[in-house]
Amino acid sequence: MAAIAELRDLLGSDRVLDDPLERRLYSKDASLMRGDPVCVVFPGDAEQVSAIVRIAARHGLPVIPRGAGTGLTAGASPMTGGIVMSMTGMNTIEIDPDNQAAWVGPGVINLDLSKQARPYGLHFAPDPSSQSACTIGGNLANNSGGPHCLAEGSTTSHVLGLEFVTADGQIHEVGGLAPDQPGLDLRALLVGSEGTLGIATRILVRLLPIADDVRTLLLDFPSVEDAARTVSDVIAAGMVPAALEMMDQRMVMAVENWLGAGLPTDAAAVLLAEVVGSTATVESEASIIAEIGRSNHARNVVIAVESEDRELLWKGRKSAFGAIAQLAPDYYLHDTVVPRTRLVETMAGVYEIADRHDLTMLNVFHAGDGNLHPLIAFDSSDEDVARRVKLAGEEIVDLCLSVGGALSGEHGVGVEKRDLMPSSFSALDLDAQARIKDVFDPDHLLNPAKVLPQGSRCFDFGGVRREVPEGAWV
Amino acid sequence: MGVTSLSDIETKIEGAPEGVHVAPKTVDDVVRVLRWATESGTPVRVWGGGTRQKLGHPPTPGIVLSTGRLSDIEVWEPDDLTVVAGAGIGVDELESRLGEKSQTAVLPEHPGAATLGGVLATGRASLRRARLLGPRERVLEVTMVTGDGRVVRSGGRVVKNVSGFDLHRAAIGAFGSLGVIVQVCLKLWPVPRASATISNADPESVSRITRPLALLETNDAWQLFAWGTPTDIDEIVAKTEGEGRAGLHWPEDPRGSYRWLLRVPPGRTAEAALRVRPWRFLAIHGSGELRLASEDVEGATDLRGWAEDIGGSLVLVDHPGEDAPLDPWGSPPSTLDLQRRLIAEFDPARIVNPGRLPGGL
Repeated sequence: MAAIAELRDLLGSDRVLDDPLERRLYSKDASLMRGDPVCVVFPGDAEQVSAIVRIAARHGLPVIPRGAGTGLTAGASPMTGGIVMSMTGMNTIEIDPDNQAAWVGPGVINLDLSKQARPYGLHFAPDPSSQSACTIGGNLANNSGGPHCLAEGSTTSHVLGLEFVTADGQIHEVGGLAPDQPGLDLRALLVGSEGTLGIATRILVRLLPIADDVRTLLLDFPSVEDAARTVSDVIAAGMVPAALEMMDQRMVMAVENWLGAGLPTDAAAVLLAEVVGSTATVESEASIIAEIGRSNHARNVVIAVESEDRELLWKGRKSAFGAIAQLAPDYYLHDTVVPRTRLVETMAGVYEIADRHDLTMLNVFHAGDGNLHPLIAFDSSDEDVARRVKLAGEEIVDLCLSVGGALSGEHGVGVEKRDLMPSSFSALDLDAQARIKDVFDPDHLLNPAKVLPQGSRCFDFGGVRREVPEGAWV
Repeated sequence: MGVTSLSDIETKIEGAPEGVHVAPKTVDDVVRVLRWATESGTPVRVWGGGTRQKLGHPPTPGIVLSTGRLSDIEVWEPDDLTVVAGAGIGVDELESRLGEKSQTAVLPEHPGAATLGGVLATGRASLRRARLLGPRERVLEVTMVTGDGRVVRSGGRVVKNVSGFDLHRAAIGAFGSLGVIVQVCLKLWPVPRASATISNADPESVSRITRPLALLETNDAWQLFAWGTPTDIDEIVAKTEGEGRAGLHWPEDPRGSYRWLLRVPPGRTAEAALRVRPWRFLAIHGSGELRLASEDVEGATDLRGWAEDIGGSLVLVDHPGEDAPLDPWGSPPSTLDLQRRLIAEFDPARIVNPGRLPGGL
């Protein structure tokens, strides 16, 4: 294939893979959807990314940027074929301690950044459960969250600037260390655009000081309602803890069986709360949370002070998805958000849906911001089960939207939720989004057919038509 | 002008330049105004509280559109820490309502007549920005009316959401070029039980306080702002050896006929404060934002050169004359072409604040 030969000339043979096995390895992310790429390329810098994009454009091949492939919505699955561009080779880290920031390559692994920043007393706040594998480029593309974005915000709150390549091969830079750069904030559009507007080649992230002291609390409850009420009461008491995570009984049992972290398997729900700050702060906040928990029938409250004890509690939370492997070969992990006040009723509805479809469901989620992660463990080789898993998933999304929720809190839209976008947005809202795509990528070369359903661009909305102004590019 | 179709919403806006003044009562009214303006190619100035009308290159308006009547609080869910309000609500009014249940939207502390839509469209930040971040972090959902009269909503009414491109965040500081903001859902913060303003603190010990709510420097004082539990606050006051006063007593922005915003990398804030010392200034340490007042236009040119060299900017916010004595924004951004094409999709006839943005967009 001519395109592959050109790519080999540009990058060298070892950085263009096209044998069937390698193509198969890069044919999907962590979702259940698989595509078939023409080849996989590994650029080393922005100039190479630009050159690859130009070659792809000449041959009419889509480009699908990919980090570690931990995404759950097929955002990095090459559903339309084309060139998978693995960013993992672009993994330099330049820490700027004076400005509490770092310029990083998109292929830097999330946890590696925090490890490198540690000697400076800094860390990168977004911490998805996959942080030991997922990349900053992937975090940027999906606007990833994690337990600690309750107080600190998702990735978008931590991206100060970026260098990116557009579909025409141009290299741009937006944002920077100084706040509020004059003009439109294109950074806001690029973060969370799932590689559909541009390919990030360097990312300027904010680093936060590591807190002086930390307390991690584990509270166990006789009911999900009591745990959820504790979450609301903590917020009402004027606190936004660093994290407020919930696991239901089935999840606790799965994790405990696997890890032996000492979690209470007879509790209906456990709440993991973390407070950070000075020693006086964390001590007073931890005791207030414990008190609120007890007033909501918490049976037991553990306050972990030492870092190894805290890490064990977090290991239980962050290993949750790994623990599922004991139950079934596959899992389908959902990601929706509901207003915190609707948490209890939504959870009841979610359990009802799983029971009705006779599915094994476990829950571990970011309770503090109402971000649910119902997880269905199943065997995809059983077609009837797979069909019910899909149906249940759609019902869960409908339920969450019906209480004023959102389609996705942190995993993205990708292909998985693309065709559900009209249930969240009007035709005009989607048209506006499609216009943004067309400005950055008029030929839909970058990660095409993701995020926005086909036909989002409505050319006749009943509004006013005008001549295209000078300088506009259509 | 043939604007009889707008006569039902015509009004007189105090302090606004000449033109047809309208105050829409509904979002549909805004649609009507903007469609009319697009059809007739009439420039529109959007008017909140009128506190930032000199910022950028203000257009000579045919229409001045006041958001003042779009000022309802539609939903406030204290337990969800969200509020949905019309763009025209006064920041003072909104914050004092939220304060009734010990919550805040972290909007500017001394807003004057500024409205919610105004502070967002112009990108005005809170003095708490080093700790709680800037104006883009306040919005969860924005409903706006594009220049050609489409009602577009982006985001959602939940605190975490990644569905679709974040047009609502891009609308912050966009001066209506992507759409006139008509309604906003804001993320709120609970106000802790105790707070203090600490003056005359020992600078060495202040630097050991991790992430204070704000550390502000003016020409004659340093002030540390803290909130938290009562134990917390007592500890911080003791640690800094300063004079603690209960409550948050925010300083006013420096006054003067020429007012400026200097932005530098956060680590250069102290250096910037030294450099602007002859001017009246308020520096927000940890954020890189300094608010300045000075008539020294020549000095401003030098200061701008220095700021741009280190990746920052110096923006003229207010001046006494008709025309700004120098480009109010400084050097145009490198992504001007992308910005121009983006705006063309939302305001094809370029009628909302035309030319106000950097690079004459």
